[in-house]
Amino acid sequence: MTFENISKVYPNGTAALESVSFRIEPQVIHALCGENGAGKSTLMKILFGLEAPNSGRILLGGHEVSIRSPVAAASHGIGMVHQHFSLLPSMTVAENIALGNEPRRGPFVDRKAARERAAALAERYRLNVDPDAPVRTLSIAAQQKVEILKALSRKVSLLILDEPTAVLAPLESEELFERLLALRAAGLTIVFISHRLREVRQLADHVSVLRGGRVTLDAELAAVSDAEITSAVMGRRIAAAARREHNIAGKPRLEFEHVSVRSAAPGDTLADVSLSVHAGEILGIAGVDGSGQSGLTGLLSGRLVPEAGDIRFDGTSVAGATMRDLRRAGMAHLPADRFAAGGAATMSLAENITAEAEDIRAGAFIDLRKRDRRALDLLAEYNVKFRRADQPLKSLSGGNAQKVVAAREFATGPQIVIADQPTRGIDAGAAAMLHAKLRDFSDAGAAVLLISADLDEILVLSDTIVTLYAGRVSGVFRNAAEVTPEMLGPYMLGLAGAD
Amino acid sequence: MAILVRTLIMAVLLCAIILAVVLPAVIRLPDPGAALWTFIAGPLSAPRYFGNVLEYATPVLLTGLGAALMFRAGMFNIGVEGAFFLGAFLTAATIFTLPFGGWIAIPLALFVGALGGSLVCAIPGALKVRFDASELVTSLMFNFIALYVGLFLLNYFFRDPTAGALATARLPADVKLPRLIEGTRVHLGLVIALAICIVAGILLFTSRAGFRTRVVGANPGFAAHLGLNTGSILFRVQLLGGALAALGGGIELLGIYPRFSWPALPGQGWTGITVAILARNNPFLVIPAALFMSYLQTGGDLLARNYDVPSELVGLIQALVILGVSADYLMRNPALGRWLAARSTRRSGTEAPAP
Repeated sequence: MTFENISKVYPNGTAALESVSFRIEPQVIHALCGENGAGKSTLMKILFGLEAPNSGRILLGGHEVSIRSPVAAASHGIGMVHQHFSLLPSMTVAENIALGNEPRRGPFVDRKAARERAAALAERYRLNVDPDAPVRTLSIAAQQKVEILKALSRKVSLLILDEPTAVLAPLESEELFERLLALRAAGLTIVFISHRLREVRQLADHVSVLRGGRVTLDAELAAVSDAEITSAVMGRRIAAAARREHNIAGKPRLEFEHVSVRSAAPGDTLADVSLSVHAGEILGIAGVDGSGQSGLTGLLSGRLVPEAGDIRFDGTSVAGATMRDLRRAGMAHLPADRFAAGGAATMSLAENITAEAEDIRAGAFIDLRKRDRRALDLLAEYNVKFRRADQPLKSLSGGNAQKVVAAREFATGPQIVIADQPTRGIDAGAAAMLHAKLRDFSDAGAAVLLISADLDEILVLSDTIVTLYAGRVSGVFRNAAEVTPEMLGPYMLGLAGAD
Repeated sequence: MAILVRTLIMAVLLCAIILAVVLPAVIRLPDPGAALWTFIAGPLSAPRYFGNVLEYATPVLLTGLGAALMFRAGMFNIGVEGAFFLGAFLTAATIFTLPFGGWIAIPLALFVGALGGSLVCAIPGALKVRFDASELVTSLMFNFIALYVGLFLLNYFFRDPTAGALATARLPADVKLPRLIEGTRVHLGLVIALAICIVAGILLFTSRAGFRTRVVGANPGFAAHLGLNTGSILFRVQLLGGALAALGGGIELLGIYPRFSWPALPGQGWTGITVAILARNNPFLVIPAALFMSYLQTGGDLLARNYDVPSELVGLIQALVILGVSADYLMRNPALGRWLAARSTRRSGTEAPAP
């Protein structure tokens, strides 16, 4: 299979892929690496017929093919195992595998044949799952096997696995790798999408790296060093100039002590995480998406409860506390998704920006005049571009909506600030303003936990940087001029640091 | 408000068009134009007929308000019908159980009716909060549980053997709600219902509890992020919504009926659901929406009474009108939108956005 000059520009003007070309040799395991937003998903969607490229060709065995739908992809022998499974929990393994491709006897589904086919497939590829077990009773790893079997039952020659190990425990990953190597030996071509370079190294024959929609590396794995892959993934960033230098003398305000969380959602899983944020400190969490960041924010929003370990605010345990308790204890939380958790899209700016504020209440009522005055003050202070305070939040751009959310969260004078992707997708001016606010809080003695996919943001703001890899702390750095993205990369990708 | 007015005008026009097309096609009328005129202008042609509009509107104001509040909090709880029925029955039962009579029994009986009837909405609410059971299914079923529990109690404990049908004894004259307009059956309940709608509107838009209700309905994720106890808010709103619908039942009984004698679910709850949808779950707009539905009902009655038009056909036409005016709203309903969005992302099977 060959990609030739594939380009994709989304209608909103985002160029997801720019002239991407590379070859996938038959019967190899081909790793595709890159950060979030690098274009991996778009490329695979094009290959699987879910998106159409704006230009470029896909050649299959020397012939140009046009893949317009997943059905067409299947007819070309392309199968995909998505990160989020698409199985029916109440149906059995055999039924799930047969679904969409059922053996028939007259007008009826031949259940016996479906069962036999599933059993034979499982036997042949040594992917042991009970064909009669309802899918809901299976572990995540077994469900993944069912997904793979389902793809194999369609007679695939090219199997795409999107971050297959993100949901697996280490031992389960080892088992999957064994099976994938066996599949390669049986003649399949496998595309393995992963952030985790250690796994790529262990499994793949060939690696292609995308960054910003372009191929930055395409080589036999044996011919490239880890450092080359890392720099292809991370790129050369301009080290931040306005880095902040100040000494932290305060006491620890936010502490995680040997915290573990076990969850079906990969990003929620944490293993023995310890960290502490002191008064006056900004602690930045760096890591590829899904490395445990949502576990941290879940614990700090009452969504998750630690399985082991303790979380403390100013020495008082808040493990398992509800969001209300956490807020009472002086926490403000700027959520990553400003519309899903940060506000009510259909409610007005005034209501969003003053929600649950104590100083606008009048007994059981809200003092509407006070509310509107306060809303206008905050909207002006945070430089929100708006027409009327009663326009709905959804009428604002992402950046302005984020300012509204930040204005509300920060107005309480928080002692502990959680900022999750605070400036994602917003303009430079708004980002600078939010950065200044975060600095102000820490200067005033608050503890700030900054989680960001933007390494430059982490480097500019943080006093301390903690890297996460697969739910664990893989490195702790005191931020200084010599800390560079290249230095953090191996820790974020699991090539260095604690396992 | 402007949208509602436009919708209602559109509905009347739609109604007229449907009537004009359907009526002559289905049955032979000597003068279809006159029949049409009766349907549209009849309810306003005499004080007695306008009185009918107000009578019909009275219970529907309360069931509509109850439904609107529950929908506003994001639950599609349709237990108002059962709550209405049980509320009326328990009001009657309380009156016959109390050792004393007189007007003092009225608030007491209405209170017991409202409290008991509210369970029809509150239990599905609790099941939703506790077990994530679909409130649509459970509240639909609870309507029938309410019906049969009520009929059982009526048959074995409160039945008047001298009455020809399944009914309680006659309600004493001093527990009747006073009539307000000579020549009609418009009673004090109308004033009570209107007042409750206005108070509910003020509370919903200016109180902290009302604000929280709206936040939970607009975005439960945001409510949780603010630290609100969404489960408890949802449950309390279902309790309140059920109580309002049940109070509607009690008021209807004491305002209009000589005895409790409903052998089946009476339908004012279902109408209330339509009213809530028409009113965009806004307590203030429940008032015009309820009047509009009553106006359609009265027009249909007049048509059935004066012309050889079967009342089923009238009901059919009303249903078509409601379908037309509610379709737009349903498509914009945030809860429905979320449901549809969840379905479509699941179906496309591609990466859902990470939580």
